[in-house]
Amino acid sequence: MLRYMLRRTLIMVPVTLFVSMIVFIIIQLPPGDFVSGYAAKMATSGEIMDEQAMALLRESYGLDKPWYVQYFTWMIGILTEGDFGYSLSYNRPVSDIIGQYMGITIIVSLVSMVFTYVVAIPIGILSAVKQYSFFDYLATGFGFLGMATPNFLLAIILMFISFQWWGDPMLGLFSAEFTDAPWNLAKWMDLFKHMIIPVIVIGTSNTCELIRVMRGQMLDEMTKPHILTARAKGLPEWRILLKYSARAAINPIVSTIGWSLTTIFTGSTITAIVLNLPTQGPVMHKALLSQDMYLAGSWLLLMAVFTLLGTLISDILLAWLDPRIRMTRKGT
Amino acid sequence: MVTQAKALMQRFVQRRAKKGAGQDYATSHWKLMYRELKRHKLARISLYILGFFYLVALLGGFIAPQGLESYSGEYMNSAPTKVRMVDANGKFHIQPFVYGLKSERDPETLRKRFVEDPEQVFPVKLFVHGSDYSFLGLFKTDIHLFGVDEPGRIFLFGTDSMGRDMFSRVVLGSQVSLTLPLVGVSISFLLGLLIGGISGYAGGRVDAIIQRFIDIVRSFPTLPLWMALAAAIPPRVGVVEMFFYITIIMAFIEWTGLARVVRSKFISLRSEDYVTAAKIAGVSDLRIIFAHLVPGFISYLVVAATLAIPGMIIGETAMSFLGLGIRSPATSWGVLMQEAQQIENVALYPWKLIPLLFVITTVLAFNFLGDGLRDAADPYSHGNGAKSAKRKGKRKWVSLRSKKKQLEV
Amino acid sequence: MWGEKFRMAKKWVLCFMVVLMAASLLAACTSNNTGSNGNKGNKGANTEQSPSPAATVKAEIAPEAPMLAELVKAGTLKPVEERMPVKEDIMIEPVFEEIGQYGGEWNFPWNGPDDKWGISMATEEAMFRFKEDGTSVEPNVAKGYDVNADATEYKIYLRQGMKWSDGVPFTADDVIFYWEHMLIPETFGKALYDCYYSVDPVTGEKARAEIVKVDDYTVKVTFKHPSVLFLERLAIDNKWFFAPAHYYKTILPEFIGEEAALAKAKEYGFEDLKNFGIWTGYYYWLYPQRPTLRAWVAKNDMNSDRFIMERNPYYFKTDSEGQQLPYMDRIVLTKMQDKSHKLLETMAGHVEVGSFDFTDYTVLKENEAKGNYRVIPWSTPNWSSTGVQLNQTTEDPKLRALFQDIRFREALSLAADRKEISEIITNGLGEASQASIQKGLPNYQEGWSNQWAAYDTDGAAKLLDEIGLKWDAAHKYRTFADGSDLTLTIYREDPSDNEKFIELIRKYYEGVGLKTDVKIVDQGSFFDLKYANKIPVTVKTVSVLNVAFRPDELVPLRVITPWFGHYGLYTSSQGKEGVKPEGDVAKILEDWDKLKASKTKEEVQKWTDDIIKLHQKNQWVIGYTAPTPGLVVARNDVRNVPSLIASDETRYIGHAHPAQFFIKK
Repeated sequence: MLRYMLRRTLIMVPVTLFVSMIVFIIIQLPPGDFVSGYAAKMATSGEIMDEQAMALLRESYGLDKPWYVQYFTWMIGILTEGDFGYSLSYNRPVSDIIGQYMGITIIVSLVSMVFTYVVAIPIGILSAVKQYSFFDYLATGFGFLGMATPNFLLAIILMFISFQWWGDPMLGLFSAEFTDAPWNLAKWMDLFKHMIIPVIVIGTSNTCELIRVMRGQMLDEMTKPHILTARAKGLPEWRILLKYSARAAINPIVSTIGWSLTTIFTGSTITAIVLNLPTQGPVMHKALLSQDMYLAGSWLLLMAVFTLLGTLISDILLAWLDPRIRMTRKGT
Repeated sequence: MVTQAKALMQRFVQRRAKKGAGQDYATSHWKLMYRELKRHKLARISLYILGFFYLVALLGGFIAPQGLESYSGEYMNSAPTKVRMVDANGKFHIQPFVYGLKSERDPETLRKRFVEDPEQVFPVKLFVHGSDYSFLGLFKTDIHLFGVDEPGRIFLFGTDSMGRDMFSRVVLGSQVSLTLPLVGVSISFLLGLLIGGISGYAGGRVDAIIQRFIDIVRSFPTLPLWMALAAAIPPRVGVVEMFFYITIIMAFIEWTGLARVVRSKFISLRSEDYVTAAKIAGVSDLRIIFAHLVPGFISYLVVAATLAIPGMIIGETAMSFLGLGIRSPATSWGVLMQEAQQIENVALYPWKLIPLLFVITTVLAFNFLGDGLRDAADPYSHGNGAKSAKRKGKRKWVSLRSKKKQLEV
Repeated sequence: MWGEKFRMAKKWVLCFMVVLMAASLLAACTSNNTGSNGNKGNKGANTEQSPSPAATVKAEIAPEAPMLAELVKAGTLKPVEERMPVKEDIMIEPVFEEIGQYGGEWNFPWNGPDDKWGISMATEEAMFRFKEDGTSVEPNVAKGYDVNADATEYKIYLRQGMKWSDGVPFTADDVIFYWEHMLIPETFGKALYDCYYSVDPVTGEKARAEIVKVDDYTVKVTFKHPSVLFLERLAIDNKWFFAPAHYYKTILPEFIGEEAALAKAKEYGFEDLKNFGIWTGYYYWLYPQRPTLRAWVAKNDMNSDRFIMERNPYYFKTDSEGQQLPYMDRIVLTKMQDKSHKLLETMAGHVEVGSFDFTDYTVLKENEAKGNYRVIPWSTPNWSSTGVQLNQTTEDPKLRALFQDIRFREALSLAADRKEISEIITNGLGEASQASIQKGLPNYQEGWSNQWAAYDTDGAAKLLDEIGLKWDAAHKYRTFADGSDLTLTIYREDPSDNEKFIELIRKYYEGVGLKTDVKIVDQGSFFDLKYANKIPVTVKTVSVLNVAFRPDELVPLRVITPWFGHYGLYTSSQGKEGVKPEGDVAKILEDWDKLKASKTKEEVQKWTDDIIKLHQKNQWVIGYTAPTPGLVVARNDVRNVPSLIASDETRYIGHAHPAQFFIKK
């Protein structure tokens, strides 16, 4: 087991490096570069940058050098000093910007995730227990509805409903008066209010999947011999369900938590843009659009690392939770 | 493409089932599956709905009363036309009809307001002449399924901000939105089958390399990939080419999940006795794969493919939201939804959200169908024993479905 | 809510104290107040504002905002009269509707630092600013000026006792410093502005101005040749003709050495000196460290979710009652990632004053009552609301010849149904019209708006036949005379609002047999393509207040406006690169040179008229519908928001002098 983990971890290093390089190339694949985009943006607000000014900017950002020079400078910075480079659009070190948005991103992602699990697991259990009942169909239908509606549209509809009924579209995570206020009960309440829409939008897109998995697992578990034994022994039904079936059924869900790692740290992009959430997603989207490549690159690199890590964790969890898989691993 | 779609879902299910009729032992699996599917009420209904949608998409130009470039300054942002059976005098008409529309602008807000004119009655007719289109790509015609005489107008779902009929756009948009995922899934299906197959069958070092490669692709954030690939699309592309590019982009992201399923299936099957027997008998690898291994899990793949389709439909809308992919006047449901999400439309012209209902319905239908197929794919499992096979399958679904996350950006 | 109430309560306590003080201190103090109470609704405000401790010392003082009065009371801020210029040099800003009340915040949605110009314009203080009608300038930061008869010598007078927002005096040294240490060495990466050059009428040679300090409050600008438009062009090219010397001496490498400057740059987050110079020198209003003369100054990091600009206690303007401006305490810039957020927030009544495009008119109007705001249309100096520009120097020689053919432009103009465009794109508001100068603006030409403005596809077809364009085999598309493929490729910047118009215009062009492709590129690539002369057709209108002030869109001086493509490069590279202008384009350039060397304003007027007439004749920019207004949305309790002309030259909302906006309680 230890050897397996070690091997997997080691192999991650070249994979990550490779991914980082491709990422770097891809960011610069679209025509133009950061400076031309910047100049165009300034032109729309009346500031005129001539070729000389643009050349000056390019030079100062090192954009006049070929991509591999830029890449290696960046990579060496990361490897030797842990320096992720410099964001061209923010004029600040990349790590500063990632730091600025990390807290809120993790909060939003975690709350949505908890929401997903808290809603999905009980519904999954219930709809398995009452298979093919009205409740089963309702729960499934509801779950699917969240998944079937594109997030951006759901977000905008909820936002508009909120505006129509309460006169406030609930943009962002705080009302104006609380943004800079110290943390107190009122601010928490305000945050809570503003979290409702994002949590619904981000949460429901995943609940469906979880409900289905949970339901399927429960159906499997409920017909197992040891459950029958327990039932025959006269244990109360709820106890059988919770203590034996549900516990076993939840295993694969727990083991796939690793895959959510990326989501936790990056948050969702489109939903965050629509709802004006101050999370990583929109910042990354903008960085990509403007070809702010060290910022975008660092981000994508982090995402890639998290995905790889997540897969690794999940594989390990899976192996750890299910001895059968561990056995087959040994075999191969 | 549409026929291809039907084939994907049903080729294995229906044709074989009919042929076999219980005698041919080899086909009984499909037959059982079909029988099982028929028992799954939701899946059956979903199949009918999807069949209907695909039929409509196929006959798009005929069913849609207008083309995609029927702009009209007069009838922009009009609410859905009321189709009536009873006129202002309370008289009942056998033939449904619509009133003429008079449009005027609110001088204050410049919003178009439409007033029905009960004086003008336009019966809804079948097979009327309208804009030219090509019927099934075979011949040019201007006959449309339904419509009203000039100067009457019928907008079942209202009009958009350029005065085009939303119903027509939904119908014609479905041609893109319903076929794109099928083509995309087919491509990823092939890729997945090929690469996953090689990985699983060959094992050892080849397997390890392919697995790492899949890791790389998987760890690839979709958003920049979309953006980069979209930017790489050459300047002068028609709708068909654009469609093709998007499909490839989507497929590129999707295939890894399928490859993993295929691989694990291969691994579990290749040690089965009958495979070993074939090997000893000197059957070639290729033949073993296609004649003996693939049939062993093709039903799982069909299910996997069905379940991958909704992700692609949603993915297409997300791409449209980000301004990538198809652009008006070419239309897909994603384009319509991207238009609908403007505050102005949500606030003032809510009928522009109608396409959303079709997206939801389609996604749900594919999901239910997939669920039905999944249950059906394991027809023996409803007996007493053989639970383990299903359990194994389930676990794969866990991994397959988690893959979907990547599409949600 | 509670904070609000608490503040109110405090205000009342303050009021009460004032009354007590006033009573105990005899009439002198109150006479000032009663004098200003002519305007009702203003009463509370005035009594509140007089209570600085200084009030006990002097009678006739300028009132100030309560938040500043508190600071003065606490002893952390000097009394108001010591912060402002000497009495006769204080600038009195006329209010648009009524004398205002202090307090409140202006919630200003922005897109983050990329939107820096939006907030800059709202808070800019120019040396000379445009008058209300936008035709000429008036002193703003400057107190006044003198100019000699042949317009070669300008004396600019500054305000005595005026201070930067950190309290350091603002003098002629700051102007000279800016000129010597920032403009000439190009500290912030901009070449010296054109307005500082005069042109030799004979040789056309450019000569740089001389700028010297006369005394602490006077600078003299001397030109070699007459420069009649210096002040107007200064008001466009280089509004902030001054910089705080005392601040830059602490950060510029010239004064503290490379190493220390680099350390400073790191402190600000930069990695190199060039960008440090550009940002602190050019986008200075975003830095709290950098003192300014503006009504509001930056208080925190521009990248925070709420970037705050707070009132400048040293601001040099008062209203006619002597209350120091601005009325509003703060501008709060909240980051909004999407246009729709600004719209929703405005509809919810969370935005005090905001600007919008005409596209949002209907939805804003429909929610006017609900959101408790009013939509104020501003006119624009646009030539049209929808326009097409054909690159006269496009790369493909056949296409170039076609674009230069005036008949082709006429054909394109006739090919479109302007009525329908008007309905769909402008909600019927922008009438069918040719791209032309609107009535009431300088150089207006009678009848121009009707030139080629009919919808006449037959006429268009006849013109295309005349040019010699043939049909392809299927009689679907036209080809060049030699039968080769003819495609118009319209480049569209993304994002843009032209999407619908391009869809329509494509239909019309294809309707007369011209194959039309649309290529969508992002802003940055568009910019690059423009420089590389790779954009044949684009959708863009012209917006010029007065060609003499800002020639960029009508005179090919550099690569900037799509219609003249690389003619501009030819001029800016002095003939080394680009395409040599010929015919009427060359004439325009000649006219421009003559304009620059003009000795009188009448002469200038003549040459601008000539330039415009050439444009009328050639119609390089084709327009389809008359311009639509820009929109300013003001919440109903925000007063003093006028309706003016919205243009870059006059700085959009800045033209309304936001310092005098106030929130009526």
